[in-house]
Amino acid sequence: MNTLKSNWYRINPITVILSFFIVWFVFAFLIYPNVNTIYETFFGTGTFSLEPVEKLLRSDRAIGSILNSILLAFILVVTVNLVGVSLVLFTNYFDIKGANVLKISYFSTLVYGGVALNLGYKLVYGENGPITQFLLQLNPHWNDSWFSGLFAVAFVMTFACTSNHMLFLSSAMRSIDYQTIEAAKNLGASQFTILTKVVLPTLKPTLFALTILTFLTGLSATSAPLVFGGREFETITPMILTFANSSSSKDLATVLALVLGIVTIIVLTFMIRSEEKGNYISISKTKTSIVKQKINNKGLNVLVHIIAYVLFVIYSMPVLAIIIYSFTDSLAISSGMISLDSFTIDNYLLTFSSIEAIRPYLISLVYGFLGSFIVVAFCLLCAYLMKIHNNLLTRTLDYSLMIPWFLPSTLIAVGLSVTFNTGQWVVFNQVFTGTLWLLLFGYIIVHIPFTLRISKSAFFGVNQEVEDAAKNLGANAFYTFIKVILPIIMPTILGIFSLNFIGILPDYDLTVFLYHPLFEPLGITIMNATGNSASADTKALNLVYTVILMILNTLILTTVYGNWRFIRKRKRG
Amino acid sequence: METRGWKQLFLLFGLAAVLFLAACGSSGEAEETEGTASESEETSGAGNSDDALIVYTNSNSDGRGEWIVEEAEKAGFNIEIVGAGGGDVTNRLISEKANPVADVVFGLNHMFFEQLQAEDILIPYAPAWADEVEEGINDADSYYHGLVKQALILSYNPEFVKEADAPESYLELANDEAFKGIYQARDDLGSATAKVIVASILAQFADPEGELGISDEGWETIERYYANGVQIPEGEDYFTMFASGDAPIGTMISGELAAKMEQYDTEPAFIHPEVGTPQVVESIAIVNGTEQEEKAQEFVDWFGSSDVQGAFAAEFNAMPANKEAEGQITDFQSEIFADVKPQEIDWEFVTENIDAWVEKLELEIF
Repeated sequence: MNTLKSNWYRINPITVILSFFIVWFVFAFLIYPNVNTIYETFFGTGTFSLEPVEKLLRSDRAIGSILNSILLAFILVVTVNLVGVSLVLFTNYFDIKGANVLKISYFSTLVYGGVALNLGYKLVYGENGPITQFLLQLNPHWNDSWFSGLFAVAFVMTFACTSNHMLFLSSAMRSIDYQTIEAAKNLGASQFTILTKVVLPTLKPTLFALTILTFLTGLSATSAPLVFGGREFETITPMILTFANSSSSKDLATVLALVLGIVTIIVLTFMIRSEEKGNYISISKTKTSIVKQKINNKGLNVLVHIIAYVLFVIYSMPVLAIIIYSFTDSLAISSGMISLDSFTIDNYLLTFSSIEAIRPYLISLVYGFLGSFIVVAFCLLCAYLMKIHNNLLTRTLDYSLMIPWFLPSTLIAVGLSVTFNTGQWVVFNQVFTGTLWLLLFGYIIVHIPFTLRISKSAFFGVNQEVEDAAKNLGANAFYTFIKVILPIIMPTILGIFSLNFIGILPDYDLTVFLYHPLFEPLGITIMNATGNSASADTKALNLVYTVILMILNTLILTTVYGNWRFIRKRKRG
Repeated sequence: METRGWKQLFLLFGLAAVLFLAACGSSGEAEETEGTASESEETSGAGNSDDALIVYTNSNSDGRGEWIVEEAEKAGFNIEIVGAGGGDVTNRLISEKANPVADVVFGLNHMFFEQLQAEDILIPYAPAWADEVEEGINDADSYYHGLVKQALILSYNPEFVKEADAPESYLELANDEAFKGIYQARDDLGSATAKVIVASILAQFADPEGELGISDEGWETIERYYANGVQIPEGEDYFTMFASGDAPIGTMISGELAAKMEQYDTEPAFIHPEVGTPQVVESIAIVNGTEQEEKAQEFVDWFGSSDVQGAFAAEFNAMPANKEAEGQITDFQSEIFADVKPQEIDWEFVTENIDAWVEKLELEIF
């Protein structure tokens, strides 16, 4: 009781004001619009009705989709962690020949995603792709549409979802104190023991957060199942989207979203419990940089090199396919056959002649920058409060901030625009529909859960003693945060910042409901040029936009993320 | 080291601000609009700026949007186009109901317009050209009026299917095992095209006693239709699959045909079922709550007129609903429509039930 009292005593007015702000924001933008939607589902007719639930329970397809989503989530937790940890070990821990080249291909998933990534895999493994053609030559009876169903979805997503590992696990790996490894060596530990008993446990908080992220990514998988799943492997989110688009079936969409929500909450409860058990890993104050380990066992060394290069090929092929095919005509794209005549730059010319120059790019860049900046700042604040005050209020906050994770962005967007159509007391009677603000709020809201999870895991990796030392030297909480903690977690923070930024640029699902008519963002431009109603060469244009986005994303990553590391290195040197 | 980091961050922030300003300024011609628009956002939040007419549409791809903006400017209208898929436009209008951003909406088919009318999103207005439109197309209560006709024509690719083997109708596709795996059965029921095909099939089995107004035979037929057909995966184009022979029997949309045929160098052969070919009409309407009702009316009068629709038809190979614009129809379109007999579909019955049908298909049949 005494500690509690003294804790309260220590709280300064700034913290109180910030807390009020957070509570207000969460209520106004996360709870209020969404609870409205859920309420309408069950009380829409005036009385409480379980009809939508009954309808879904009667449908084998709906139940099957839910089970498939959960199955996919479990498979991905295993495969993504396996591949992700391997990538990080190959690039940051083991001494692998040509690691710098490998790294570029391993990082490729950062610069393209969603439909574009699936298109890349389709070009490689699809019916006309080189892999299928090769298999057909080996065995003429090979089924040319072999790449579909659960296997294909899991395969594509396994390699697509390692971006977070490459960013966050790598930075955790780099902050390992090499002295601990040296010490273990001197004590006679084998390389295997060092890896499993010293290195991996240090990565535990990050791995843990990444596991949860992977699980939830698998649970809400949309585009990969749509492209590769076919009829035999359907998942829940595409179904939610279909129902969300029909005014009379919206209740079904909400119930399905609630199912996702319940599974999410169960997983999170498990996670938050484990986080509380303590994952406070010390980072040495006089840290020595990690030195890459040469694998002593010759046979093993060769095997590891082979695996590393196979992964290199798997990661490179879709990117190369996208770049090459973006320069070919539609016949080559659909048939897979490339001849010298197929090459053309018409696709690029079309892209830049059919849109009003670069305006949509600029608008999306500004939204992307502002949105990801604000969401990172907001989540850092929340994560910091959760770390220093672990109580019922912050735990509730933690769960509330996860709401956007289990509602598809379409539903969030509709909720926002319906709610802020009219002046609401909760936002001081401001009307946001039809303003530039609404889309910014939308971007911030959907990126909160991911940002918060990673921020929290970053905070838990900070040595408490460093913080205490700063405080003992008389630094106040704010100063400690800015001058001591922030620099330690900066690589992670910049990683989330760039990922959010990259995610916002091509977004369509959320944008289409919230954008201001006079400020058309990139996602809308792309959709108008390549969507169903467009009769131009949609596939070729899609490839071109993907290449442009890849270049933009690489620029963002290198300016935001690369610069920081460059500065740090220079400082050290 | 920290100060440097912060400096970088501020630099980026400044850069973003500059970009933003550049973005605002880059559309020189509409500078005044932008100014008023951003002012009104800050104060009242209403998107309706004083002079620009906000037009929602799903028909702005392939340069149509740019063409309309340009022609409108020549005629003295300052318009801004907001483009998205038909379903998205409809949903956006419904969710903005209490504070509409749009002044005019066009391009959606009557299923969407019926939905909008039911949600009280539209206000009636009979444009000057209403009488020039073919009978039976305009809304009886003047809520929306027809602009462009689209025929959804069942076709086969003669490179892969012999004329003698071609099906006669959607029903034959479902009932004859010979077509298993070679025809397209689009299951993207969010799209208007897929919905119209479903309506075209189910409407032939109307039965007041049956489930959702459809007889058991109807439900069995459509179940077989989807079980035996090929679905178009996300990211694939129906015409690509049609041209490549992966699924050489499918539904062509008259307005897109010319461009697609040229692009893929494929000439579809049309099938003319006895019941007829489903047709949809893209219409135009004024949004309830517009602050510029008069100007919106003038725009509708202008845009639907035979001159503008004729020019549009000539430019984009469309089939105008305005009979006076017939002179400008391309030979290609007149040839398509010469043989097409419209299917008699009770659209009132369809719009009343289509959502329930889609729900049943999604939950029980797919």
